[in-house]
Amino acid sequence: MTNELARLSVRSLPDVFAARRLGRELAAGLGLEHQDQVRVATALSEVSRSAVSLGQTAAITFAADENSLVLSVAVDGTPPADGIAAAARLMDVVAADEQVIRMSKRRPLHSTPDFPALTERLAAMLPESTLDELRRNNQDLIAALEDVTRQKEQLAALNAELQETNRGVMALYGELSEELEQTNRGVVALYRELDEKSEQLRAAAESKNRFWANISHELRSPLNSIIGLARLLADPDGGLDAEQSYQVELIRGAAATLLTMVNDLLDVAKAESGRYVVNPTEVGLPALLATLRGLMRPVTDGKPVEVVICAEDAPPTLLTDEMALTAILRNLLSNAVKYTDSGEVRVTARTLPGRVELQVSDTGTGIPAQEIERVFEEFYQVPGARRGGTGLGLPYARRLARLLGGELTLASDAGRGTTAVLSLPLKPAAEVSGVSA
Amino acid sequence: MERVPILKIGRTLFVSIQIELQDDTVVRLQEDLADELSATGARGVVIDITAVEIVDSFIGRMLSMIGSISRLFDAETVIVGMRPAVAITLTELGLSLNGVRTALNAEKGLELLNGKA
Repeated sequence: MTNELARLSVRSLPDVFAARRLGRELAAGLGLEHQDQVRVATALSEVSRSAVSLGQTAAITFAADENSLVLSVAVDGTPPADGIAAAARLMDVVAADEQVIRMSKRRPLHSTPDFPALTERLAAMLPESTLDELRRNNQDLIAALEDVTRQKEQLAALNAELQETNRGVMALYGELSEELEQTNRGVVALYRELDEKSEQLRAAAESKNRFWANISHELRSPLNSIIGLARLLADPDGGLDAEQSYQVELIRGAAATLLTMVNDLLDVAKAESGRYVVNPTEVGLPALLATLRGLMRPVTDGKPVEVVICAEDAPPTLLTDEMALTAILRNLLSNAVKYTDSGEVRVTARTLPGRVELQVSDTGTGIPAQEIERVFEEFYQVPGARRGGTGLGLPYARRLARLLGGELTLASDAGRGTTAVLSLPLKPAAEVSGVSA
Repeated sequence: MERVPILKIGRTLFVSIQIELQDDTVVRLQEDLADELSATGARGVVIDITAVEIVDSFIGRMLSMIGSISRLFDAETVIVGMRPAVAITLTELGLSLNGVRTALNAEKGLELLNGKA
């Protein structure tokens, strides 16, 4: 029984090499000794090379029967004589008929070859034919092509998605910019409106000031007439009896109060309209304070109120507008005295870096916290606490303080007293302009 | 196609074949050796075939031809390290390597050449 293990077709010289290796492996697998392996390989080499050199194709069958290694070489032509002669020297039996050369070599009987494994080993050594290789290459190529096509499709899908996103973004962008433009237009319109409003406000403030100034001015002349005539009437030689004199004196007093109010109004209008010209001079602060104290004495009007001046810490001189400073302090002091029934009104002067701080504190009725800022409004007076006056003093004082480059603030504890703080620069700023509103 | 490297040691070219010989490899080796001999004027060629397991009639003839060609360049060829199985097979094939000398190993081969020089 012949056991066929491999087939090989020899067409060219590299195939001869493969035939040699296959023969050697077959011999080794069948347990032939080394020298015989070389003989078998060499015999195959001789036969197949001589066939190839004649331009023939040799189909070699590698096989084994019970006691031999069997090789049969089928050629498509006359079997090559020299190859057969060489092989005959190396193999045990070599027989050639028309187109087939059969060769055999005895194999050791005690060996039990693993035929399936040997078949597998031989198959692995078979050279790949060009056609097979081409087919395999082709398959690889097709796979690669499919891969590329798939990738291309993916790319196209991705691109489409991207385009979609892009459109979305563009739409969003358009929407946003339109919205922005609208808002912008709104802001511009608002701005214009604001501009108009502030222009109107300015005009209104101006006409108010003009009105005040005119009215005050117009009122002053008749008031002066009234005061002058009242004084003439009250003359002791005027022939009035005591009762009449007293009444005339009342008229005069009322007119004088009215005149003060008119003057105040005029002052505020002047300061506000920016027509007040600051005129800085060297002001001796202690002297000024002493004068003020003297001025205030009659105003205490018999109340148990003492006016105390603490000017130890004050700078000797201050470069500022004396009239304005005096007006501010007089306002503050008269307010303090007016709203204090008993206790003291203390004026403290302190030097701070670059500034001087003047405090006027009293032990009077005080101002409720929610009214603190409102008392700086013109004509405003704390409800239920009216003690005469026009409600113009504090606004006027603050306006003057700002004209001098300073600030006027109030701190108060209702029922315990009020402290007004006037803070002024030691020197006026380079340019103090009359600021209105 | 594989190529067999040719080393020049003194006035000798040394070829060590470490691969199973194919026909075109041997043809190429023959051409390379001829070029090298003409270029260097070497006086001897040592071909070590320790790693070669199969020498058939074609390869044997080619080795023989290398010896003849070397002689034309006034160089002697020594084949060294032939395996017993190869020697037996060559003998059984009735081939004698005309034109080349043989030695047991590379050392002996070099000695042979130097002794001649």
